[in-house]
Formats: sequence, C-alpha cells, structure tokens
Amino acid sequence: MRVRFAALAALLAVTALPAGAAAGKPEIAVEEVTLDNGMKWLLFPRADAPTVAAGWVARVGSVNERPGITGISHFFEHMMFKGTRTLGTKDLARDLELIEEQEKVQAEMRAEREAMRERLRRGEIADLAAPESRSPRYKELEARFDALVQEQRALILKDPMDELYTKHGGEGLNASTSEDWTIYFVRVPKNKLELWAWLESDRLAEPVFREFYSERDVVFEERRLRTESTPLGKYEEALNSVFWEAHPYKWPVVGWASDIPEYTLAQAKDYFATWYAPNNLTGVLVGDFQPAAAKALIERYFGRLARGTVAPPPVVTLEPKQLGEKRYQASAETSPTVRLLFHGVPFVHRDAAALDLLTDVFSGRTGRLYKGLVEGRKLANEARASSDFKKHAGLVQVEAVVKDGQDPAAVEKALGEEIERLQKEPVAAEELQKVKNQAKAGAYRRLSSPFFIAIQLLVYEGLGDWRYINTSADAWEAVTAEDIQRVAREYLVPEKRTVAVFLRKEGTAPEDPALAALPPQAKAMVKQSLARIEAETDPAKLQEGLARMQAMAAQVPAEIKPGLEYVIAKTEERLKALEPSGEKK
Amino acid sequence: MRSKLAVLLPAVAALALPALAQAPALPKHPDALTFPPLTYEPPEPAGHRVVLKNGMVVYIAEDRALPLVQISLQMRWGGWLAPEGQEGLAGLVAAQMRRGGAGALSAEALDERLDFLAAQVSVGASDTGASANLNALADNLDESLALFVAILKEPRFQQDRLDLAREQMLQEMKKRNDDAADIEASEWGALLYGEGHVASRFTTEASIKALDRAALLAFHKRWVHPGQMVAAVSGAFDRKAMIAKLEAAFAKWPTARPDVPPVPKDISPAAPGVYRVQKDVNQGRVSIGLPGVMRGDPDVYALEVMNEILGGSGFTSRITRTVRSNEGLAYSAGSSLSFGVYYPGRFRAAFQSKSPTVAYATSLVFDEIRKLREQGVTAEELESIKANLVATFPSNFESKARAMSVFAADEFTKRSPGFWKTYRDRIRAVTAEDVKRVAQKHLVPEKMIVLVVGDQAAIDKGDDRHPVKLEALAPGGKVVTLPLRDPMTMKR
Repeated sequence: MRVRFAALAALLAVTALPAGAAAGKPEIAVEEVTLDNGMKWLLFPRADAPTVAAGWVARVGSVNERPGITGISHFFEHMMFKGTRTLGTKDLARDLELIEEQEKVQAEMRAEREAMRERLRRGEIADLAAPESRSPRYKELEARFDALVQEQRALILKDPMDELYTKHGGEGLNASTSEDWTIYFVRVPKNKLELWAWLESDRLAEPVFREFYSERDVVFEERRLRTESTPLGKYEEALNSVFWEAHPYKWPVVGWASDIPEYTLAQAKDYFATWYAPNNLTGVLVGDFQPAAAKALIERYFGRLARGTVAPPPVVTLEPKQLGEKRYQASAETSPTVRLLFHGVPFVHRDAAALDLLTDVFSGRTGRLYKGLVEGRKLANEARASSDFKKHAGLVQVEAVVKDGQDPAAVEKALGEEIERLQKEPVAAEELQKVKNQAKAGAYRRLSSPFFIAIQLLVYEGLGDWRYINTSADAWEAVTAEDIQRVAREYLVPEKRTVAVFLRKEGTAPEDPALAALPPQAKAMVKQSLARIEAETDPAKLQEGLARMQAMAAQVPAEIKPGLEYVIAKTEERLKALEPSGEKK
Repeated sequence: MRSKLAVLLPAVAALALPALAQAPALPKHPDALTFPPLTYEPPEPAGHRVVLKNGMVVYIAEDRALPLVQISLQMRWGGWLAPEGQEGLAGLVAAQMRRGGAGALSAEALDERLDFLAAQVSVGASDTGASANLNALADNLDESLALFVAILKEPRFQQDRLDLAREQMLQEMKKRNDDAADIEASEWGALLYGEGHVASRFTTEASIKALDRAALLAFHKRWVHPGQMVAAVSGAFDRKAMIAKLEAAFAKWPTARPDVPPVPKDISPAAPGVYRVQKDVNQGRVSIGLPGVMRGDPDVYALEVMNEILGGSGFTSRITRTVRSNEGLAYSAGSSLSFGVYYPGRFRAAFQSKSPTVAYATSLVFDEIRKLREQGVTAEELESIKANLVATFPSNFESKARAMSVFAADEFTKRSPGFWKTYRDRIRAVTAEDVKRVAQKHLVPEKMIVLVVGDQAAIDKGDDRHPVKLEALAPGGKVVTLPLRDPMTMKR
C-alpha cells in the first residue's frame, strides 16, 4: 500500500534552519522527505520570483558502465525526452509494433556488423564507419530500417515534453550527465507545478524510447562537437584514460566512438529498470511553492512509481595504488601546457576540505602559482590548480601554460617546487585566512539564484550528500595550516603523479614572416636569442648585448647576417617597450 | 458536508483497497489539468531611481536574503572610442583598471586586499560600452566600495602589469586559428558587419604593441567619468544609508561630461554567398544569416515570435526538429535574433554537422526558411510560442539584482519607458499574417551570408545518401574561399 501524506509525516526528516541565510551562516533550510517507494525529495521554498526550479537526479553515470556500453548513461539521458505511452505518438499500438520491427532489423544489422568487424580484424577493411566498409547486405538492411523509421515518424508527435513545457512557460528544460550522476531540470511558473509533476512522473513511469537509433547519431555529433573537433578534446580524453588505470572513470562520459553505434534497446530497458527506479532517485524543488501542497502533489504523482526489483549494483573497483610516475605527451593546436595530475579523494572524504583549500592557495591572481610562475619567474602565462571530487575517487590538477620561448621542462620543475614548498612549510596565517574568506563568501554567493541552488542540490546529492551545501563552509573553516601541509604530503606525491605535456603541433604556430624566411638552423638560434631577450627586463643588459651584436654584424658570414639583424631589430623593439612610457615624446 | 465526504472517501478507500489507493485518479493527459490563475506585474523603475549629486543615476533595492552587496555600473566608453591602430585599447584599459593598482595601492597590494576581503571586482569593455561590477560581503562593504571607486577613478596602470598583460595577449593571439569555433566567430562578425566595423575590430600584434601606459592613462582620463554612468545596486543594506555611502564614495569625483561621439550606426555587410574557410576538423560549423533591424523597429515583436518558431525555442522550433531531432545531423541546431541598440542586429541560424552532411543540413535550414516565408506558421505554433513568451516574462525581473540591472540598462540605452508595460500585449497581438509578412521582408534567402568552417574537401565529397552541393545553395551563386587570416596581423 502506498503511504499517503498524512501518514508520511512520521517519515519526514526536517532540518530546522532559519529561512534567510543572513543570520551568519551560509545555510538553507532544506526539508528532506522520503516516499514509501524510496524516492527522496529535497524541498526549499524561496519566493524570489513566481517560479519553481524543479528537477531530479538519477544516481547513475558513466562510472556504472562497462566497456562496450560506455556512454550509455549519457545516451539514455537523451532517450528520456522521447515521450511515453501517453505522449509522443498518434497511435500507440502501431508505434510499439514498429519499434519491435525495427529491433528485428537492428538485430540483423548487428550480426552483419560483427561480420564487418571480423573483416576489420583480418585487415580487409580499415574503418568500420566508412560507407565503403558497409556490405551490400548491410545497406539493404539499412534501407529496410529507414523505411520503418519513416513509417514511425509519420505517427510521432515530436518532443512532447518540450512542446508542453514551452506552451506553459517552462524555461531551461535540460539534463546533464557526468561520471556519477544524471540530472534533469526545468523552471516552471509557480501555478504549473502540477504539470511538472505530471510530465516528470509520466516519463519515469512509462517511457517509450523512440527514435533510439537516430538519436545515437545526435550523440555522435555531440561527441564530435565537444571532443573530436576541439583543440584539446581528444587529447584530454586520452590523458584521462592514462591517468585512471582500473577505475571506470577512465572512459569518457560521452562514450568511446566505437561503442556509441552499438547500444541496443534491450540494454536501455535493463538500464532503466535498474537505475531509474524511484529508490535510486532524488527530486528537488526550489522556489515559490507551499510545502504542504507540494508534498501532496509529489506523493500523488511520484508515489505511483514502483520500487525497483533489482538493487543498483555498487561500484567495487578501486583504483590500484600508482607505482610510478606516468607521462603523457601530445602535439596539439594550443599553447604549450604542462599539467600535473595526482590522485585525490572522493566528494564525501574527510580530507576534501583541506584539498579544496590547498588548490585555493595555488589558484587565482594572488595564488602561489600565478605569483610564482607568471609574475615572479616569468616562466608561464597562466597557472592554476583544481580539485575534482567525484563520488568514488578524486584528482588534483596543477597546470601552467608555458610562456613563449620558455622550456616546458622548466615549468614542470617550477610546478614541482611550488608543491614541495607547500609540503615543507605550513601556509602563513594571513594566506590561509584569505582563502577561507573567499571560500565562505563563495558559500553565500552560490545561494544567490534558486535555479542554481536546485542544480547544486541535485549534483551534491549525485556525488553522495546534498548536505554539502550547508556543511562545506564549516569544513573549510576548520582546516588548519597543518592540515594543508599534511594533505600536500599525502596526496601530491611525485612518484604517484601523471605528467601531461601538450606541445604546439608543428606548423600551427603563426610566425613572423621575417623569421619564417630564415634557414632552419638559423631560425632555431634566433628563437633561443628571442626568448632570452623577451625574458630580460634590465635595459642596461639589453643595451650591452645590442652593442655587442652591432659590433659583430660587420664581420659575420653572409648566411648568419639576416638572423643577426633580426635579433638586433627585436632587441631594439624590446628596449623601446621597456622605456617608461611617460617620458615618451 | 459534500466537500468533507469527497476528501474522506478516497482516504478510506486507500486504507481498505490498495488497488484504489491512488484515487482520485491522475488526469490521463496533461491537457486535462487545470491551473490556478497567475497574475504578474513588472516592478516599477521610478521607485528605485535616485540621482546622486554628481549626476550619476542609481537604481537601488534592498535584498537581505544574503549578506552580500552587488553594484553594477554601465559606462559610456568602449571599443568604438579607440583610435585606429590602437585596437584593443578599451579592453586593456578595463582589464588594467582592475589589475594595475589604484589610488594609494600598488597592483600587488590592491589584489591582495581585494582577495582578502573576498570582494569580486571586474571591469570590462565591449565594442559599444563598458561595465564595472562589485560583489562584496556586507560586513566589509565600506572598504570594498572604497577600493572599487579607486579602481574606477584613480587606476595606476602599473607598468609591469601592463607589460605582462600585453605579452599574454600576444601569446593568446597565436591561438586564434586553433579552434574552429573561434574562426567562425571572428569571420562571422566581419562578414555581417564589415571589416573594421566596431563589432569586428581585431586586435593585432602591432595594435597591442602600440598600447603603452600613456595611451591608457589618456583614454581613462578622457572617457571614464561618473556623469556618464548608470548604476544598479542591490543587497543587504539600508537604502538610505547605502545612498549616503554612494554619495560619499563618488562625491569627490568631478562631474565632467565629455562629449562622447556616438557608436557608428553604419554597417557594410559582405555580398550574399557562401564563404568557406578550411579547417582540418571532422565536423563543419555553419552559420547562415544576415543583418537585421534596430530595437525600435515596429516589426520586432513579430520577428521575435517568428524566430522562436523557426529556430529559437529549442526542440519545439523547426530547425532543431528537422536537423537534430528528425535527421540526427547535429547536436546543436537553431537560430537566434538580436535587435540593435547602436547598429542593426542580426539573424543567425547555426549548426555543426559531420563533414559529409554539412551541405545536406544547410539545405534543410534553407528549406525551413523558405517554408516559413511561403506557408507561414500554424495557429498551434503561434499560440504556443506567444503563451511561452508571456508566461516566461517574469523571469526578466527574477531577482532584485536582475531587476535593477534591467532598469539601469534601459536608462543607459534610452529604451522607451513603456516597453515592459506593453510587452506582453504586443506579443499577444502578433498574428500569423504578421509572422509571414516579417519573414518575407526580413528573411530573404537570396540575401543571406553563409559561412562554412571545416574540412572543405570532405564537405564537398558529401555522403552517398544526400547528394547536395554547397554551390547549389549559394545565395546569388557566389562561392568564396577565404584563406585563414594570419592570427597576428589578421591579414589573409
């Protein structure tokens, strides 16, 4: 029997907090409610505007996948917008028949693709995706499948949720998938909350995964857009899988290119039954609503969802201890960049707050990396550090963009030295207070928008504990200089790091035409000289060098002369740039 | 009595018969739902408007939900005021106001102090204006505000910070051709508004090297004045006390009113046609569009509705539905429309698709544009979009900070005072005939500029299923191959 809300009151876990956060702590009074079917709810009324930000999180992401179906969590997120038994078709019976017929053809296509893979293994074809690799039989099946799609399309009422939300003033309808969570959210006018409950519970109760196979193409375009056709996307993806050895965080959220075209409807159905059962979901409402009425609405609509019959399996793989330093180097269309990656801790770990503040000490314009490498030693143009706390594990990244003419190895060494300093000396009191002040202000700022609060609750819940929104400020406040020193020693261990070096791909750097015209050997020498000139800030030293070069110019062999003249010109330019501009005429 | 029974019956049933526990039954279809009425009137700017003694206009509202204070200033200076050969000057002035020290404080001391106070200060300049923002904790507002004003009024433009910034800009410049999206953005502006128009004035190695400290000081002295500013102020304060603080903070800054030349109105778009830029990536980026109208144009309401239906409202719009949802040719496909404040806005449809389907997807976008012009929109589409624009209207004023910013921007750009009051009625009044008429008038396929950035050989090869050629789609039959620009000179 489903529990009605009168009886449910006994199950409520209520945290009593002041409604406004101005009382001195960045906290919000979120009410937590759990339905009988295990679906948890987080409610935070706040009447800024006549709207409600509403969403839910499925505690599933790419970490719950396996090779062969990588990316299916994200793909599944797309499928949740394709309608239900009630919404999305003019003729449900025929629609379902067509889906079944499509599945039969797809099964034959899969068998045919396996035959194509055999040809690939034998080296008879080079690329499974190329049109010329498709067998005549496969093309025939494709044509049959297309005809079924066309027939179904004539019955489909497109994107029914979007249609309804649009008409009723819904905004920002979207979803997002990470390694650990999948979130769905929208903002609705406050008088349309029941529409939201209807639509969201309907797609959780009776979804129909229409347009399954064409949506794989959309996801593949998303992969091209974000990963394959950006300057660093594909290299970041490769680096990630070098960093993680065993953990399922090693594959990309969007999925490997070879896996996306292989998802099957049967896999999607299993996936839904396991991971989208109400006991694996948490809903969130933030905005202008009456809690009692909202609770009744939630119970009425979401209470009907049946608890799952299969318990979501836990993630059991633990990342093995890294035994030695790993290195990854790639040539990309970007400024040379050095990145150090270390294994950190999960989101709920007791050392997370200290690691957070550690990376804060490093980051920002007054952080140690910028002051040390960019302004101080002039080795880098940008420098930053970040902590990434995932649900089951985490990583810490320290990165600098190498300044033109500087050596990436020197930048790597300098980053290592900053880490060593943090391990050897405790952070000064003032410096620690600064990052604590910023963390606390940030804890207030993140409460500025109801929509953003809703997103954070969903994400934190997906990472393991929504209460982070209220507890993190105290956790940061409690961190001591000794804590930071300890976690620096414990986690930022040189032998357990991965070093990534991105170099600029040959032929993609713009060159001064005068420099480009020089013979290759001279060019290398000239570039070295230029780096030294750029790094020199003392005009007297530059003048001295200039005089020496001018004296040499008359005597050097003809093939060296253009290079030398170029360096002389650049030295003069540099001297000009160093002149105090106020004295210029 | 009746009402009591009605409540009781289902409850009893629920206890006795689990199968009926859900009574009353849920509506079978969302169309059966009924909703309580929701009335909404936008806030009135007048009650929030204050003029400081130095002439600065302030829109102010208390908001005590969080112990924060937010100040946003709109300022009448920006890229259009930089002399030729000094492209990038306004942006560098803005960045170095924040980064180069101010008043009694060196750059290092200022940065450290602001970070210690956890005060966020930013200054930015666009082609047509500039802005400055302070977000401070209420308990250190006085000091944060003093630093903010010093940054605006007495920037030091410290030499070493300026040198570093220029070096960073020059290195960043080298990345201009790395990302296809960046190439698309800069070429699109140049095609739509013309080389050298304020919207597409490119910085170059030479222009950045020409920006010395003297130039920054002179620009600041000439153009940055409180009489030119409109402020939006909100947060945890007492209104009266806050006004007094603002008076005191800005009082000693003389109200000079420089004669600011207007942002140039004229644009010089490229001839209609297909413009191709080679970039070795496996997905082509396509933009299709043309310059549009000014904000005061009477067609703007019908145009807004038109664009929402064509490609502006996500999955319910036609381009998204056709290119993404039906055909699976793109992840992101749609259109957007802007209305100009200083120079005409623009219409732009855009998508990204794997090289072999670029031409086919382009043809689908043109098909949708033609269909809209020839057949107009359905009554359902029209009603749905109008209802959406009316229902989402309150979000324009969703927070005090947002509302004050809207008022400040309206005053700064001299938007007609009745705009928000009449907006919803104007939208409600748009008819299907209006939409068709403005589509025919403003969305002329033969006048469109098409930009295609990607692997041109693979795009031309196409796929075996949709033999469409870009040439055949070119407005006026014109196809131009644009060589990549040198990133340091922006010459081809």
